[in-house]
This record gives sequence, C-alpha cells and structure tokens, in this order.
Amino acid sequence: MTEISVGLMLADHWISIIGIIIGGICIAVGVHFVPVGGAPAAMAQATGIGTGTVQLAAGSGLTGLLAAGYMYMVLSADGAYVGTSQIALICATGAVGAMIMISVTMLVGNWVYIYGVGVPPASAKRDYDPITGDSQAPYVAAGTVGQGLPTVCFVSGTIGGLLGGLGGSLVYCMLMWVNGDPAISSIFAIGVFLVNAVLPSYNIQGTIEGFHDPKFKRVPKAILACFIASLLCGIIAVTIPGIAALGGV
Amino acid sequence: MSAGGPGGEAVSAETANQVDIKGIGVGLVGIYIAGISGIPYLAFLAGIGAIFATKMGADAVRRVCSYGIGTGVPSIGMLALGMGIISAMFGLALGKMYNAVFIGPIVGLVLALVIGFVVGTLANKIIKLNIPVMERCLMEIAGAGVLALTGLSVMIAGSMDFVVISEKVITTGYIAPVFILGALGILHPFNASLGPDETQDRTLVHAYSCGAIAMVIGGLCSIAVIDSIAGMISIVVGLVIWYVTFMGFVKLVKRDAGAGYVGTGLLPPGAM
Amino acid sequence: MDPAMGMGLVALMGAAATVAGCSEDLESDIGSQSNPNSQVQLAAQVGYPHRIFNKAISGEPPSNAMYCAVGAGVAMVLMSESVMSASPLIAIAIGAFVAALLNGVFATTSYMGRSASQTRFNQYVYMDVLRNQILSLMGHAYITTFCIVLLSYVMWNQHLINHPFPFPVIALIWGLCVGAIGSSTGDVHYGAEREFQDFKFGAGLNAADSGNITRYAEAGIRSSLDNAWFCSKFGGPATGIAFGMVVFLDNWRSTAFAEVLNGWGAVLVGLAIVILLVIYNRQIETYARKKYGPYPEYAGDIEA
Repeated sequence: MTEISVGLMLADHWISIIGIIIGGICIAVGVHFVPVGGAPAAMAQATGIGTGTVQLAAGSGLTGLLAAGYMYMVLSADGAYVGTSQIALICATGAVGAMIMISVTMLVGNWVYIYGVGVPPASAKRDYDPITGDSQAPYVAAGTVGQGLPTVCFVSGTIGGLLGGLGGSLVYCMLMWVNGDPAISSIFAIGVFLVNAVLPSYNIQGTIEGFHDPKFKRVPKAILACFIASLLCGIIAVTIPGIAALGGV
Repeated sequence: MSAGGPGGEAVSAETANQVDIKGIGVGLVGIYIAGISGIPYLAFLAGIGAIFATKMGADAVRRVCSYGIGTGVPSIGMLALGMGIISAMFGLALGKMYNAVFIGPIVGLVLALVIGFVVGTLANKIIKLNIPVMERCLMEIAGAGVLALTGLSVMIAGSMDFVVISEKVITTGYIAPVFILGALGILHPFNASLGPDETQDRTLVHAYSCGAIAMVIGGLCSIAVIDSIAGMISIVVGLVIWYVTFMGFVKLVKRDAGAGYVGTGLLPPGAM
Repeated sequence: MDPAMGMGLVALMGAAATVAGCSEDLESDIGSQSNPNSQVQLAAQVGYPHRIFNKAISGEPPSNAMYCAVGAGVAMVLMSESVMSASPLIAIAIGAFVAALLNGVFATTSYMGRSASQTRFNQYVYMDVLRNQILSLMGHAYITTFCIVLLSYVMWNQHLINHPFPFPVIALIWGLCVGAIGSSTGDVHYGAEREFQDFKFGAGLNAADSGNITRYAEAGIRSSLDNAWFCSKFGGPATGIAFGMVVFLDNWRSTAFAEVLNGWGAVLVGLAIVILLVIYNRQIETYARKKYGPYPEYAGDIEA
C-alpha cells in the first residue's frame, strides 16, 4: 500500500475543494431561480411548480448528473486525461440535461394548469411580466396568489436548471479527479447536492417565483451558508481516496 | 409544513437523551461486534445497531418538525443523509488509511456531529430559521444517518474495511437502497403519523419497523456479497423484528384511534 | 454501437418512461400523496372528515427513489453470479415485486398513522378503505418500478448504453426524477381539479375554501379509486408524456449528436430544444390569456 495521509490528500487536491465550493454555490443560487409554489401551487393557489424546492432541484440536477457522468466516461475513455476544456464540456452537458428536465416539467405543468384546470398562467408578485410586459393582476383568480408558469417564471426556471446541473456536474468532475471511481463520486455528488439544495430552500421558506420575486434578494445569505457547508463537505470528500490508492483492485 | 399541533416542544415519554444514548450505544456496539469479530454470521448485529440509530433519527425529526421548518418534513432528512454519507465513508476511509479500521465508525460519527452542528448553526444564525432545537436535532439526525449507513454497509459487507465496503457495497451500487432506506427510515415514522394526535411511542415503534425493513433489504443484498447463510440470518431477524414492531404499531393505532378504528362505515355522525 | 440500435434503445427507454410516469402519477393520486395531500390532511381539521386514502411517504421523489433503488438492488442480487445469474427480465420483475411490497407496507402505515393522528377531528381509520386501495397502489407501484428499473438496466448494461454509474444509483436518480415530475405535473390535475370538483371550473382553489375537499361521489361517498379514474383521463398521461420526453430528449441528443463538434453538438441541440420549449410555452400562455380572459371579479385598475 502506498503512503497516503489526510494532509497529503488535501495538499494534492485543494483545487478540487475550490471546485466543489463553486459547484455548491451554483446549486444554491440555482435553487433560488427555480419557481416553486410548494403545496399551494398544486391547488393552483400560488404561482410556480406545485412541488417542493429540494425535490425539483434534485430531480433536475441529478438528471443532469446522469448525462454528465456518461460524458465523463466517453471523454476519459482509454485513459485520456480530463482537463479544463473537457470539464467545461461535461458541465455544459449536465447543465443542458437539467435544463431539458426542468423545462419539460414546467411545460407539461402548464398544460395541466391551462387545459386541465382552466386557468391562465399569472404571477401575483408583479403587476406586469418583466419579460413580456403582459399584465398579470387581472388574471389572478380570487383568493389565490397566482397560478401556473408565466414566461418570466419559465425563463427563471431554465436558468435554475442550468445552474443546478452545472453545479452538480462540477462537483462530480472534481470528485472524479480525486478518486477516479464513478460509483463513489456519484453517490458523494448526490450527497453534496442535497446539502446545497436544502439550505437555500430554508432560505426561501419553501417557495419562490423566480428572479423577479422579492425573496430573491436573500441569495447572499444562502451563498454564505452554502460556502461554509460546501467547504466542509469538500474538505472531507477530497480526503477520501479511491480504492485503487488503498490497494484494492 | 407545521405538524398541525401547537408549535413548540413535542410531548415525549422517552426523553431525547435516553433515545440518543440507546441509539449511539446500541448502534456502535452492533457495528463493532459485526465488524471486528470477522464472523459473517454476526453481521446482522450491525443491522440491529442501524435500527436503533434510525429510531434516534426519527425522534429528532419528530422534535424539530414540531416547530414547522418552512418546507416539507423530508428535506431535513435529505440534508442530514447528504452529510451523513460523506462523513460515514470518510470515517471508514480514514481508518483504512491509518491502518486502524476500528476508528472508522467513531470518526464518522464525530464528524457528522460536527457538520450537523455547523449546518444547524448556519441555518439558525445566517438563514435565521430560529428554531431552538435545530443544532441539536441536526446533529442527531446526521449522527443517526452515519450510524444507519455504516451499520447497513457493514452488515452487507461483513467487514469494516473501506476497501471491502467500497468494492462490495458502493461499486455494486447497493449503497443506493441503503442510502434511501436509511433516509426513509428516519423520515417516514414522523411523516406517517403527522397530526395533532401523534404520540411518541407510536412514532418510535414505527421507526423500529422501518429500520427492520432496511435490514431485510440489506440482508437480501448481503446474500450476493457475503454468503447466503449470513444473508438469510439478517433477513429472518429483520423480518421477525418487522413483524413484531408492525403489529405493535397497529395495536397503538387502535389505541389512539379508539372508537374511530372501524372495519367499514359511512362518515362519522355529524359529518354527513 | 450501431446508431440504429442506439436510437432503438433510446426509443425503448422513452416508451418505458412514459408508462412509468403515468402509473406513478395515478399511484400518487390514489394515495393522495405529495402536495394535494395537504388538503386531505387539512380536511378533517376544518370539519370535513372523509374516506379518501391519506398517505405520505416522505414526499413523492424520495419514495419513488426508494422503490426504484430497492427494485434495482434486488434485481442486481438475483443477476449476480454468486446467487443465481437470473435473466434480467425475471430479476427486474422480482425486484419490482419486492418494491411493490414495500410500497404496500409504507402506504399501510401512513394511512393508519395519519388517520389515527387526527382522532380529535373525528377522522376514522377505515379498514375497508385500506383494503380496497392498497392493491391498486401496489399494482401501480409495480408498473412504475418495473419500467424504471428496466430503463436503468438498459442504460447501465455494458453491451447497451454502458453508463458508468452503478445500476441501483441510476435507478435511484430516475426514481427521484419521476417523483419530481409526477408531483409537479399530474398531481396538479388531482389537487386543483378533482379534489375541488364541487367548485366552478376555471380557477384555482380560493384560500377561503381550503380543506373543503369533494367528499361525495356521483352516488355515495367518494373513494380514492374514483380519483384515479378521473386523473387517468388527463393528469396521468400528461405526467407520462413529461417523463417520457425527459428521458427521450435527453438521451436522444446525447446519443445522436455525441460526435458533432467534439460533443458540443449535443449541448447546442439541447439548448435549441430548451429555447423551443420556452417559445411553445409562451404560445400556450397567450392562448390561455385570450381564450379565458381576465377574471370578472378583478377590481384593480391594471388593464388586462
């Protein structure tokens, strides 16, 4: 068995820690972009997707992770070195995978709102949609705070998917650099992802409409919290070597 | 989501300290006997440790969620398990690196407690959730997560060696059911009993039964990893624990529902 | 791999995903899982006890992730050479069966537990409600798990797509994904429409009516199986299309365009798909605004 110690692992892989922190912050900011209305949205009582923040962010980010994991394997086939430019491609693949997942979900969600429930999408946080300029207030049903996904929420959601997928894939790549084992890296990436998705969802108290929502101003607090949490997770995760380094097969 | 009942301290017959001592004590003892003895037929003891750890986590979820944490019950467990899996594997890997496998579970546990405390402080001080029990409960849930994950992994692999666990549990992917069953074991008991008439003993009996389910599935996986006899022992012990606790749960449901436990019938009088 | 074979596999995965999405949504509608559950839970508290199945298994994504991960784990055990080297189809079928059993256990405990925790509101624990719905829940969970484990197997098998993640981890991720999609799309049809069918069509739930769920059927008292019947007309299939589209589009662009521009082709095609979806969403938004018009109750001074 080769000599390895925690100090040596940290010294060798400090760059991965930075990558994991950046990834974690991307995930945290991404969660703020995803328009989730929580339980009320499922009753067409609030604008946004009718589910929990963490669940949706995890669903999209991890779908992106699957695409990124496949791309990493393709690029590193036959022992090819995975450098910065390859990592850019892997992260872009993951980000787009997450974007596809979240836009399809929002689109079909809107089908259900429009054709199944019979409501026009409208936001109650703004009088006019900041992107299309459409009036919103007259289209909000009585006793509700909006429903469905107007264009601004939709666009915000795709940005959220982009950041979430990017962050998750970056964390995965950084872990692959350390241990080279897709199994360990994927399960740790899921762990880091969940930590960085839950903390921001406490920050927005479970619901947000997107970047036009006043709650979006709370982002700095989540960035600070996730910086510390990712730093801790990163330090721990990069000191776990792959089994090859420990004398396994 | 609020628990539906009045906010604040949850009523409990078994105090948090008692639950924690049992959870950590039985959890560690089980893992150590199973991991150090090297006898595959004792592997099931780690599973029993995991059951007690699950119960400790479920009790912490029960206490923290009675405050209403802004988003659903499950998120807090996902947070804790996310931290837990990294700490658990770090503990085991550290033990291997320094050729002292026996320090693994303890290092993992301590680390999870530290991260739980830090993240709890972050949630309270920076994000300003202001839940008085947040730090302690996150420490407990993360600790329970580590013990449950380590316990089930050791039970499947029959060893505390990181290389063995890595090869037999992580690379094969059995870590996925272990991870999610550990999480659901901690989350489901309180979530399934949500409501103002929730009682601690019912929730905790339910936690045992969820832990036992995880043990049965873990035993099934260990058939492919250790050998079929060790796996069958875990499965049978798990099934027995599950049956006893499930029946206990049904009994407590009958007790709590009182006259409302009916075979069939229309809506209750006054509600038609 | 031969491109035609690759496309065939992607199509197969998309088809399996469509079925899985549909049955996942119906399962959660029968059990009133996920967000519409909050109204079922609230109903008794505001004086409307009911005979609707009330289950919550830690949120839809984690519970589906659990069924799929367990299904894949059991299938993996059966397929491994040290056990019985079972053929994949049989192994996946048995794995899905075990997952369906877990679904039954978790659903039972949450129905009994949640109803018993509302005794003070006169909410009964009906044994016949449990018996009537539980097999239907397990059946739907079986279909969901079978399809997702099957598509994960196709992704993982080294002769097919050869994804580097372990088989159960892939199933876990797809399980999370189908749960997230089901609770965001199909559940709205149940929560906003079927649960409040007494109220006028064309509006969300007025906050003042929270908890006043539809408890009576066309004849007699509404049971959760009726809800699956209703949601299978639109919410379920819509969820199926959503999950099928996610699996198909994502795999299609990464399989068919992997070689274009050193891999950046797949990224660009993905971006193009997203932009198309944004445009299409804008179109149905304007359609709905024109068709339905502003709410007549609106009294503010913003022009519609």
